[in-house]
Amino acid sequence: MVLEKKGSARVEAGQRRVLDEATRQRRLTRQLEALEKDNFQDDPLSSLPPPGPTARLPAFSETEEPEKKKRKTRGDHFKQRFRKNFTTLLEEENLSEKAEPNYLSAVAPPSSLPPRHFCCVCGFPSHYTCTTCGGRYCSSKCLITHRETRCLKWTL
Amino acid sequence: MATLVLDNGAYTAKIGYSQEKVSVIPNCQFRSKTSRLKTFTANQLDEIKDPSGLFYILPFQKGYLVNWDVQRKVWDHLFGKEMFKVEFADTSVIITEPYFNFSSIQESMNEILFEEYQFQSALRINAGSLSAHHYFHSKPSELCCLVVDSGFSFTHIAPYCRSKKMKDGICRINVGGKLLTNHLKEIISYRQLHVMDETHVINQVKEDVCYVSQQFYKDMEIAQLKGEENSVMRDYVLPDFSSIKKGFSKPREEMVYSGKYKTGEQILRLANERFAVPEMLFHPSDIGIQETGIPEAIVHSIQSLPEEMQPHFYQNIILTGGNTLFTGFRERLEAELRSLAPAHLPVSVQLPANPITYSWEGGKLLAHSPDYEEIVVTREDYEENGHCICEEKFDI
Repeated sequence: MVLEKKGSARVEAGQRRVLDEATRQRRLTRQLEALEKDNFQDDPLSSLPPPGPTARLPAFSETEEPEKKKRKTRGDHFKQRFRKNFTTLLEEENLSEKAEPNYLSAVAPPSSLPPRHFCCVCGFPSHYTCTTCGGRYCSSKCLITHRETRCLKWTL
Repeated sequence: MATLVLDNGAYTAKIGYSQEKVSVIPNCQFRSKTSRLKTFTANQLDEIKDPSGLFYILPFQKGYLVNWDVQRKVWDHLFGKEMFKVEFADTSVIITEPYFNFSSIQESMNEILFEEYQFQSALRINAGSLSAHHYFHSKPSELCCLVVDSGFSFTHIAPYCRSKKMKDGICRINVGGKLLTNHLKEIISYRQLHVMDETHVINQVKEDVCYVSQQFYKDMEIAQLKGEENSVMRDYVLPDFSSIKKGFSKPREEMVYSGKYKTGEQILRLANERFAVPEMLFHPSDIGIQETGIPEAIVHSIQSLPEEMQPHFYQNIILTGGNTLFTGFRERLEAELRSLAPAHLPVSVQLPANPITYSWEGGKLLAHSPDYEEIVVTREDYEENGHCICEEKFDI
């Protein structure tokens, strides 16, 4: 069965969608951004179950409400001034016009060594490139897994 | 007057009075699946009985303090009566900030320290400067040192000459412990078990079983072998937070190579993941980050400095930050640097006993130094001159 699939994979190659360089770059950026995330899951507070017959919703809304109000009045000016995300702060710094060295100039330059390639399925050194998405794989077994799971799934 | 030293990291705060010992405390808030309405702050983490699916609320983004609401909650807790019982009017604070901290963050910091908390005096400084101070203190004969600080958000290479920061040589690699944990989470979730929600657990897995390989391709070969020959493979027993409170790596003699355990614990089988993950620090390009790894970045940084200083830097490299605790980190870095550095220059990389609190200890030493009073800004100074005086005195 594996052999059959392997055979068809090669014939298929001509008809498969091939992602262009820009899309591949976008996918990579998205993967790297995902690695910066604090949490994958949603905030447990926001995903409270709908109040059932036993849930005592009024009880907790009574205790939660005053606290929230208090925070609003006290922290209003803080929210204005102190709630900016990293990107906004970086833009406000206007570093491209400031003298070096600064945050932007301090980043490490690209490596002079050639990039190494690893199979995106099993993580071992790989020799082949997926024609569709440019991902790497090491064996036909991994290619099949790759096609079935990841190949076009991360496309924007 | 007391001096409080606070190395305010993006993941843990290292805090303690200059007369006492340091405590390492999570610098964030948590929510748990079991008690959804409650938000746990800093070391209240210990109160959570079942920290599976732990939700993090972090005050830092990419290493810079952006979420002041959360930071103030954590500080209120740390400074408050439950923990350090700070008498602000009679306390001086040493607080750390990242290199090239944004000016708006610096101003907010001044305001919060002097106007909100009303500390008697404050010293804002880079954590690396405290590490350098510590280094020069323990080796007074050395002229230069290169601080490699590999933390949660990123890794910095920072040269110091006679305790003066060489700003032009500072180099940042955007790889830190957070990225490593997230990457490990991602590959485990893809290859064997969905653990994307388990940052806390997988971070522990990373700390317990990951290591820096000395011969990367050799280890890759070993990791491909079957059965007992595969000396890299480990079975990690995941915690269930009832009978197993903390995950652990199964001792090799108890390992069942077929992977079919009769005991019913949940197992993660790790082979190339163990060393491919920390490898990111040495080759960020492995996952598509177009930056040099630590050894190359060190050479890049040293080469940008005056030639007569260069030999001193190669001989005085000091490692700080949690990532340097990976087994084999120091050895690998020294070996790679040896092959990159000019052959006639000796290379020495040093790992302190505790690289996480190394800069805090430096702050403690600084608090006791005779000219400490001259480098701080007092609240009267600040009230008189505002941000200018801080900008003048603090070198961030």
